[in-house]
Amino acid sequence: MNREPVRTQALTKVFYDESRGQVRAADEVTLSCSEGEILGLLGANGAGKTTTLRMLSTVLRPSSGKAWIMGHEVRDAPEEVRANLGFYSASTALYPKITPRETLRFFATVNRYPADRVAGRVDHLIERFGLGDYADTRVEKLSSGMKQKVSIARTVAHDPPVLIFDEPTVALDVLNAIELREIIADLRGEGKAILFSTHIMSEAEKLCDRIAVIHGGRILATGTLDELRETTGLHYLEDIFVRFAGARNAGSAERENAG
Amino acid sequence: MDLRQIWILYRHEVRSALRDRSIVVMSIVIPLVMYPLLLWGTFAAMNFVEGQAERLTSRIAVQDAPPAHRDWIDSLSGMGGVSVSEWMDDEASARESVARGRMDAFVRFESPPAEGAGLEQNFQLRVLYSAARDRSERARSQVEEALVLYRGAWIEGAREDLGISDPEWSGFAVVQEDLATPEEATRFLLALMVPMLTLIMVALASFYPAIDATAGERERATWETLMTVSASRGSIAAAKYLHVATFGAMGGLLNVGALVLSLRWILAPVAGPEGVGGGGLPLSTIPIIAVGTVLLGLFVAAGMLVFAIFARNFKEGQAAITPFYMVTILPAIFLQSPDIELTNRLALVPVINLVLLLRSAIGGSLALGPGLLTLASMAVTVVLAVTFAQWVMRREDVLLGSAGAGLWEFLRSHFLRRKGKA
Repeated sequence: MNREPVRTQALTKVFYDESRGQVRAADEVTLSCSEGEILGLLGANGAGKTTTLRMLSTVLRPSSGKAWIMGHEVRDAPEEVRANLGFYSASTALYPKITPRETLRFFATVNRYPADRVAGRVDHLIERFGLGDYADTRVEKLSSGMKQKVSIARTVAHDPPVLIFDEPTVALDVLNAIELREIIADLRGEGKAILFSTHIMSEAEKLCDRIAVIHGGRILATGTLDELRETTGLHYLEDIFVRFAGARNAGSAERENAG
Repeated sequence: MDLRQIWILYRHEVRSALRDRSIVVMSIVIPLVMYPLLLWGTFAAMNFVEGQAERLTSRIAVQDAPPAHRDWIDSLSGMGGVSVSEWMDDEASARESVARGRMDAFVRFESPPAEGAGLEQNFQLRVLYSAARDRSERARSQVEEALVLYRGAWIEGAREDLGISDPEWSGFAVVQEDLATPEEATRFLLALMVPMLTLIMVALASFYPAIDATAGERERATWETLMTVSASRGSIAAAKYLHVATFGAMGGLLNVGALVLSLRWILAPVAGPEGVGGGGLPLSTIPIIAVGTVLLGLFVAAGMLVFAIFARNFKEGQAAITPFYMVTILPAIFLQSPDIELTNRLALVPVINLVLLLRSAIGGSLALGPGLLTLASMAVTVVLAVTFAQWVMRREDVLLGSAGAGLWEFLRSHFLRRKGKA
C-alpha cells in the first residue's frame, strides 16, 4: 500500500540554453502527496512548476534525483508511471476529429484500463460529466465549456490514483474555473492524490490542503496554509509567497555579488 | 514495444486521419480518380477539338493558277472542309485579309526556281498564312497535303510516259513488320508511366498524414496529451510511422488499381480491346507492383516523419517535408529514358531501384538478380530509415519541440557541438 502515491527526492532538471548556458529549471525538488490530498505548487511564471510536473509525468527525463508515482520510479518505469497518472494542462488538448465517447474509450484503453470494463467506464464518465447529449458529436463542434469537461473526463478515463493539474484554470473564464475547482475537490474526495500548480494565490488558498512554494526551481517552503502563516507571521498567502520569493532573490543576489 | 498498444494508437491515428478532408482528398480521392478523370478529360478534349475542327471550313484563295494545273485546285476543293476561291485583287490586300483572319490562306502560282525551270509546266506555290491562328495553320497544312498528292499523281503519270515498270519503280523498298503485339506496345507505355506516377502518388499520399501526425499534433496541442499516455515512446513512434506508411502505400496501390480499371472500362470501349493491349497490366506484375509500392510507402513514411517531426505547425511541416518530397521524386522523372535499365549497381540506389524494378516488371524485362537485389537493398534502406526515425522521435528535445529548426540543426547540435564541447 502506497501511503504517499507521489514522492520526489532532489529532483533536478538542467537544460542547456544557447544564450544562458546551463539552466537549472528544477533544482533538487523534494515533495510528497498523499491519498485524498491536494498539494498546491505555488509559483510565479518560470518558477519551475511545469518542469517539475513534466518530470513527474515522464514527459521530461530528470537530470538527477528521483521521483516515484505509486512506487514506480519515473526513469525506470515510465509506462507504469503514466498508467497510474492523469495529466491535465492548458497544453493537453483533445483530438478534434473524434467524439467524446471515442476520446474516452481511446484514453481508457491506451492507459491499460481493463478491456472488459472500458465500455462501462466510458458510460459512467459520460453520465458523471453530463456529456450525454454530446457524446457522439465531434469534439471540434463542442463549446469550450464542454471541451473542458471532456478534457477532465479524459484525464480520469483510466481511473488513475494520481492526478496532475498544471495551471488548469489559466485559460478559463470565472464560471468554468469554479466548476473545474469543484470537480477537482470531488476527485480528492474519491481518494486521489492531486498535484495542482497555480500562480493564483486565491486558488491555492481555497483548494489546496498543503502548499509548496516554488521559486527559481527550488521548493522554498511546504505546509498547510496555517503552518505557512505560523512560520512567517503573515496572514495572506500573497504576502507569504513574496516573503519566501524575496528572501530567495536576496540570497541569490548576495551570492552573485560575493562571487 | 507493445503490439497491442501500437494497434490501439494506430487505429486512433487512422480514424482521425480518415475524418480529415484534406487527407482523404490527397491520399485517397486523388489517387483513385486521377486516371479516370485524366482519360475522360483527354477524350472529351480530343472530341471537342475534332468536332470544332470538322465544323470549320478553311477559306483558301488562289491566284494565277495555270489551266494545266486546274486538277490541283479540284483536288484541294475535294478534300472536305475547304472552300477555294480565285483571288482577283493584289497581294497586299490578300496579306491583310490573312493577317486579319478574313481569309485562312492565300496561294499564288509562281515560276519555279532556276534549277527547276527545265521541267515542263513546273511551278512553285507561295502560301501566305498566319501561324498565330490555328485555322490558318490548318489551311496551310491542307494546301501542302493536296500538293503532295498532286505531285505523286504527276510523277506517276511521268513514270508511265517514260515506260518505267512497277517493280523498277519500287526498287530499294522498305517493308516494315512490327513484332510487338498491342499488349506489348501498351506495356511499354505503361512501364514508362506507372512507376513514376506510383512514386508521386505514394509521396503525395504520405505528405499530409506525415505532417498531421507530427506538426499537426503540436499545432492542435494534442502532442503533450499523447506523450502522457501509458505507451512507450517507441510504440507511439511505431504507430505514427505505420499510419503514414499505410496512407502512402494505399495511395500508390489505389492509383495502380484505378489505372487498370480505367484502361479496362474507359479506354477499351473507345479504343477497342486491341487499343489497350488486352486491358492494361499483366496479372503477373501485380504482386511485384504491390510489394514495390509497399516498400516505397515504408521508405517515404520514415523519411517524411524524420523531417516533419521538428515542425511546430502545419506550415513549418510543409516547408520541412517539401525538400524530401522533391529529392524523392525528381530522380525518377529524370529516369524517363527507356535506355536506362535496372543493373546490379542501380539496384543499390534507393527509390531509383524500385522505379526501375517496376518499369522492368511491367515492360516484361525484369531480370531475377537485379530484382532480388533491389528488394533486399530497399528492405535494408527501410530498416535503416525506420531505425533512424525511431531514434530521432525518441529524443526528448525533439518530443518537446525544442530541437531547433529542423533535421540538420538537430544533427549539428547532437553531433558537431557535442564533439566541439568534448
